[in-house]
Amino acid sequence: MTRCPKPEMWVRYAAEELADRPRRALETHLESCDACRREVRDLARGLEAMESLEREPALRPEMLDTLERRLRVAAANRPTRPRVITLVARYGWVAAAAAVVAATLVLYWPAESPPIVLPGNHQAESLQEVAAAIELLRVADNGTTPLPPQNLFPAGRQNELDLLLELDDAGLLLDYLMSQDKLQG
Amino acid sequence: MALRDSDAQERRLAAYAPRVYGLLVRMVGNRDTAEDLTQETLLRAFRAFETYRPEGKFRAWIFRIARNAARDWLRRRPLEPALGLDADWPERALASPRRQSRPEDRLLHGERASKVEAALRRLPDPDREVLLLRYYGELAFNDIAKVTGEPLGTVLARAHRALKKMAELVPEEES
Repeated sequence: MTRCPKPEMWVRYAAEELADRPRRALETHLESCDACRREVRDLARGLEAMESLEREPALRPEMLDTLERRLRVAAANRPTRPRVITLVARYGWVAAAAAVVAATLVLYWPAESPPIVLPGNHQAESLQEVAAAIELLRVADNGTTPLPPQNLFPAGRQNELDLLLELDDAGLLLDYLMSQDKLQG
Repeated sequence: MALRDSDAQERRLAAYAPRVYGLLVRMVGNRDTAEDLTQETLLRAFRAFETYRPEGKFRAWIFRIARNAARDWLRRRPLEPALGLDADWPERALASPRRQSRPEDRLLHGERASKVEAALRRLPDPDREVLLLRYYGELAFNDIAKVTGEPLGTVLARAHRALKKMAELVPEEES
């Protein structure tokens, strides 16, 4: 049996707020865990109890009349302003956010970085190419080029080359390759 | 155009009145105050409509205003009966009408709703608030975290505690 998930996870499970993948993982755990099954049953009972309350209780007609009257007064007292100002008030933040993003891009657009030099003076321009180069090295030397040390990666994933891409960490990759004397500085 | 907009906004907001009231009456503990705060919430939303930013759920926005209105009221009125202690706490009148076609069903369901109300009263305020926001606002826990300004983990821990307590205090419904 796998380790029991945190109780908070079961809240999201009972409330049906989990995506398929984690939900299936929890269901697999439930198959073999009585304690967690009891936990889920209790939470579901708590949620079910709430359903006894009227979700949309009837309101007194007088209260609704008053509300309607007050809303109409508020509408009548609304300052009229040109449509464009209304739109700016409502969506101005979009323009502001776009301006910030544009300014950030201008300031931090990466300068052209030096190409990554691989053995044999091959140049790699992307992380994918670095990963492909490692694979080629391993093919060429019959697998004697070691993969990155196991403690760099999560358990069970150490030998997956695509993890290097998932990590999206060129620095880690380059450090590793340099340490293996497979990459020219 | 402006009038049409106002009409649409009024209708849209008024549709939330029953649910907002359902939340507020259980937060502040009496009907008159809940009615006043429901009106106040929807008026505040109406006045703020022009600056509403469609960056989240509209419903969450409304319920955040309602929740804050209740919190403000509770802060201003420290000597009022504490949550859940008001004799005017709504019970059977707010019970769900489902399966109430037969008198015996109505009676059973009313009893169960009373037990649920009693159980809710025994929850700490922040725990009850999470359940109410979820039930009346139909908000996901992520949204509730935004409404209350608390970390998601805190909201889930409150929900966990509250749901377990409800399960303990409310007998299982007979099928």
